[in-house]
Amino acid sequence: MLTRLKSQVLDLGPGAAFVVALLALLEYMANAGLVNRALLPPPSTWFLVLWDLVSTGQFIAPLLETLLRLAVGFAIGVCAGVGLGLLMGYWRPLHDFLEPLVELLRPIPKAALVPAMVLFLGIGDAMKVTSIALVVFFPVLINTVQGVRGTDPIMIDTARTFGYSDAAILWKIVFPAALPFIFAAMRVALGLGMVLAVLSEMIAGSGGMGFLILDMQRSFKIRQMYAWLIILAVVGLALTALLAAVERRILHWSLTDKSTGAKQLK
Amino acid sequence: MAYLQLTNVSKKFTSADNREVIALDRISLTVEQGEFVSIVGPSGCGKSTLLQIVAGLIPSSGGQILLKGRPVTTPPPEAVYVFQQYNRSLFPWRTVIDNVAFAVEHRRSGPRAATRERASHFLGLVGLEAQAGKYPWELSGGMQQRVAIARALIAEPTILLMDEPFSAVDALTRLNLQVLLLSIWERTRITIVFVTHDVDEAVYLSDRVSVLTPSPATISEVLPVDVARPRRPIETREEARFLQLRHYLLDRLLRTNADAA
Repeated sequence: MLTRLKSQVLDLGPGAAFVVALLALLEYMANAGLVNRALLPPPSTWFLVLWDLVSTGQFIAPLLETLLRLAVGFAIGVCAGVGLGLLMGYWRPLHDFLEPLVELLRPIPKAALVPAMVLFLGIGDAMKVTSIALVVFFPVLINTVQGVRGTDPIMIDTARTFGYSDAAILWKIVFPAALPFIFAAMRVALGLGMVLAVLSEMIAGSGGMGFLILDMQRSFKIRQMYAWLIILAVVGLALTALLAAVERRILHWSLTDKSTGAKQLK
Repeated sequence: MAYLQLTNVSKKFTSADNREVIALDRISLTVEQGEFVSIVGPSGCGKSTLLQIVAGLIPSSGGQILLKGRPVTTPPPEAVYVFQQYNRSLFPWRTVIDNVAFAVEHRRSGPRAATRERASHFLGLVGLEAQAGKYPWELSGGMQQRVAIARALIAEPTILLMDEPFSAVDALTRLNLQVLLLSIWERTRITIVFVTHDVDEAVYLSDRVSVLTPSPATISEVLPVDVARPRRPIETREEARFLQLRHYLLDRLLRTNADAA
């Protein structure tokens, strides 16, 4: 256990060193006048601003604002995608009826729908949450359908021989069987959701991290802008790690190599 | 009235090139309550299809199946189907005991603890109480099929439909599972219809063996197995009558198989 942790840290070593080296290079270039300091102040100054934001707790309100919308939009998108995906995957006529519409809407970059959504939903939370939910919805829907389709018919017949109803089979067999596909989609959807969370705040915002980043740029608080980018990067990393932890906990049966019973090193 | 009665059961498929393929051709068979009947036949002759029709898992194209006098169209509550592919029939996200409990948890409104206690009892019946908390994929193939048998028994079926249940385990495990199944059958006296391509297994287990010819499958013969019970895994196989029946059945199957090949 300890040796595994140690080896993981060692694995991380070269990559982390590269990041530090890049920052050092930027620092040198900014100080040596190789880049315009007004556009790219030395990274050490970003971290000074960052420390100010963190130590005074100023970062909390905008962070929570963005995170809350992301959480609500993500939850709505996942629930809708899984719900409809289960029905479409299991019930062929519904699939055939909705598939053309889904295939038509799916390729549209959801960011392009934000202006239209502003017309109907205004510039408040409703529009932002909806845009996040939409971008999360499609990959989850597609993967859920695929997962349902991939459910082993023997598992379904096993439930049938014990007298399970279609609804119970959907919930107790098909849903857990599709979970590995659903989690794979959620990982992608989380990144897309963050994009829309930030973007919708930039288009129509009065708060949140996306709004601040644009606002700092416009008011030429460049160091603040970079500091917020760092916060955004850390938050994205943390959310991804959180989702991965939830996945490992729920899908431990799927991440195990069935032939040897050994846990896969992920 | 027989416990299970098949009358002229047929199954037609439409092949990929739109031709009609007759898989089962007017099959008639009766099984009495408490009887152990095997269906033997070469691979791909439609044995499993027939058993799935009896289980109400797939519809027939013609004929009638009566279980306790009632026509079978959907899975009847008295019957449980045991799959050959135990590793695909057990749910990998459920522990062993929860896989067993699955068979009844939708029926009983009683407390969860009582269901688990019953599941534990049935795991004991197949000698796997100690594995209750493990996951099916942590067990050997033979153990997995025992879990599937425990799961079938907890549903308290009056008829078990077993589709080559022991064909995917090694020879020694197969003998052990046969002994286990017979001891359970002798205690519970549930009716068993057992599909296999293993003549030795069919004669060892059954009261009667019905022989299926290759496609379109028909029952060519139903052979009573007049070998004394209780049967013992080694001694029974050395009895003259056992060897005679085995010889006769193998001879028949080899010949029909050669005709088809």
